[in-house]
Amino acid sequence: MKTTTMTLCASVLMALAVPVQAAGDPKAGQLKTSMCAGCHGIPGWRTAYPSVYSVPALGGQHADYIVAALKAYKSGERSHPSMKGIAGSLSDQDMEDLAAYYASSYTGPAK
Amino acid sequence: MKKTLFILAAVALGFSLPVHAKGNYEAGKAKSTTCAACHGADGVSSVPSFPKLAGQQRDYLYHSLKDYKSGKRKNPIMAGQVQTLSDADMLDLALYYSKQKGLYLKY
Repeated sequence: MKTTTMTLCASVLMALAVPVQAAGDPKAGQLKTSMCAGCHGIPGWRTAYPSVYSVPALGGQHADYIVAALKAYKSGERSHPSMKGIAGSLSDQDMEDLAAYYASSYTGPAK
Repeated sequence: MKKTLFILAAVALGFSLPVHAKGNYEAGKAKSTTCAACHGADGVSSVPSFPKLAGQQRDYLYHSLKDYKSGKRKNPIMAGQVQTLSDADMLDLALYYSKQKGLYLKY
């Protein structure tokens, strides 16, 4: 009984959890990076406007956080002129794919 | 004489600016314990919604903290966290996290 209930619970949890996590396709994301790479793919690249600082490193970042950032740029909640323009042109699927790509192959310490 | 003063001023500026810009690693490490609750030990967050900070660009981290404090960047959690941070605190934290292993430049 216990085993059956636990298996059922696990199955339901898996069914709920897997589609959300698998939403982004890193291979599809890699094909969509052309707009990102011009800044985020160049060592030492800095923003030019409205203030100057290094663009953030994306490699190894959490996919959920990248998606949240892109959505915030698109909605205007987070403001940066370049990122608003670029995120504004992305669909939810594009965001998931790009996030999956940048999040993949993290080689830093696991904690 | 005027020229000497100018040179002295230039030298003084040259010494002072980098120090201010770099922050203090050990001080940053000491101040990072509060951040670790969400961003993980050494900035390697294990919670998907909280960004990893380890290896992030120093000036990007500093800029983010400044924007949270000014209210330009809005996040209820971070808004509360940065209120007590001085400019020096932000520089120290940004330096410390930028020196940890984690995020990297990806094409």
